[in-house]
Amino acid sequence: MIDDDDVMLLSCRRILEKAGFETETFSNGHAGLARLEAVRPNLLLVDLKMPELNGLQVIERVRAIDPDIVIAVLTGYATIASAVEAMKAGAYDFLPKPFTPDELRLLVNRGWERWHLVAESARLRREKDEAERRFVTFVTHQLKSPVVAAKQYLDVLLFTASGDLSPQARDWLSRCRARLGEMLSLVDDWLTLSRVEGGTFCDRSATVDLREVADRVVDTIRPQADSATVTIRVHAAGGVPVCGDRNSVGTIVSNLVSNAVKYNRPGGSVDVSISSSGRLAVLDVEDTGIGIAAECLPSLFHEFLRIRTEETAAVPGTGLGLAICKQIVGELGGTIEVTSTKGVGTRFVVRIPTAEGSQTTAEGCGSTRKPA
Amino acid sequence: MNEAKTVLIIDDDADFVRALGHLLESAGYVVASASNGRDGLAQAKTVRPSLILLDVMMQDRTEGFFTLEQIRDVATLRATPVIVISSIYSDHPVFSVRPEAGWLPADLFLPKPVDPARLIAESARLTAPDYAGWEDTAKRSDLR
Repeated sequence: MIDDDDVMLLSCRRILEKAGFETETFSNGHAGLARLEAVRPNLLLVDLKMPELNGLQVIERVRAIDPDIVIAVLTGYATIASAVEAMKAGAYDFLPKPFTPDELRLLVNRGWERWHLVAESARLRREKDEAERRFVTFVTHQLKSPVVAAKQYLDVLLFTASGDLSPQARDWLSRCRARLGEMLSLVDDWLTLSRVEGGTFCDRSATVDLREVADRVVDTIRPQADSATVTIRVHAAGGVPVCGDRNSVGTIVSNLVSNAVKYNRPGGSVDVSISSSGRLAVLDVEDTGIGIAAECLPSLFHEFLRIRTEETAAVPGTGLGLAICKQIVGELGGTIEVTSTKGVGTRFVVRIPTAEGSQTTAEGCGSTRKPA
Repeated sequence: MNEAKTVLIIDDDADFVRALGHLLESAGYVVASASNGRDGLAQAKTVRPSLILLDVMMQDRTEGFFTLEQIRDVATLRATPVIVISSIYSDHPVFSVRPEAGWLPADLFLPKPVDPARLIAESARLTAPDYAGWEDTAKRSDLR
């Protein structure tokens, strides 16, 4: 308790100690704050009108030291205005002087309950965050480990013992390996989606060149395109720095381009165009593939949606790629649109803010990171 | 022909150790293994392997990272090539975490499950006499 009236301090202290509260009293703000910093009380009673540091100044400093300390204000100058001001500054309760011992006990008991609630909700929040982190770890490790071990055996077996296997054994083991690979992709995609949704995947403060990312992604997909006899062309006049981290932007490009290859036809093509229009970067991925029926377009970005037709039956996929794209584009402050004609092809257009377009410095997107 | 090189695999998954052990033996390496970081460090000191494959999540979530720091604190192991192998960083098909100076003194990261052809090629590269070592790699990536 901090109050410049010694008689008040003495009588309150008696009342509170009788009620079972350990109480320390200080007759000015500086002494009280110094002690508060060391002992971190549950509750602070503070007078508003004091010489040197006044009550409002004390409240502000206490909030900075430990926002969990519950503050109640005592004052002889009780006006609505001063009460409102004290509450705004972070006080929880208010008691006008003079007050009765009962009123003081009531105030302190309410403050004590409040402190428990605050502490309890902070504990629950911490537990929830920790549970989420643990869950992600659990999924990565526990769910993937058995699949990883099984697939590793098949990888090694097919690599080292190829001559010893009958054609059928080799074929079936290869199929098993592919199915386990699907399972791993599914876990990875699902994990990515939950991280994007949880806000721990995208970093909007980073800057990356969309064109450079697209070039690298296309390089990794090209072997797959070559074996499907699909041509990928990248069109860009120059670099287009965008707000976002390499992983997020790469995931968008990677999902769209690999879809354009997977759902294409032999001899088909994929055109990846990168440009900027005003403050927006435009990524345009157009294919000459199988196209999407108009009735399927509205639900295209839904989780676990896979359009089942004869043409898509043999194409591996998790049904999460476009849901991930849409989530990431949203996190980066952009939009994604699709147009498609069944049997002719599909075109995705993504617009995300350019690094120059954001309301921050020429350095990029307000990043506090050192440049790479 | 030189004497066979030894590879130490530190991983708590016995199946993973067996599969990769078989692969490396078939490629002419001698394989030693440990199922946790403490045993791995002790074996590394006595075996003095040409290459260490190190898992990240063993009993503790980041056990491998600490084991790696401990390995680098041993003068005789400071330059031993270490491949960190983990399923943690397979978040993205295109961009994976790379060893960086000041972050992790590793020579290479590979995602689990490991591509056999890639592991054989990288093992040969990292154990070759002309391999410059992780400190040199880190320095070069700093300059980029």
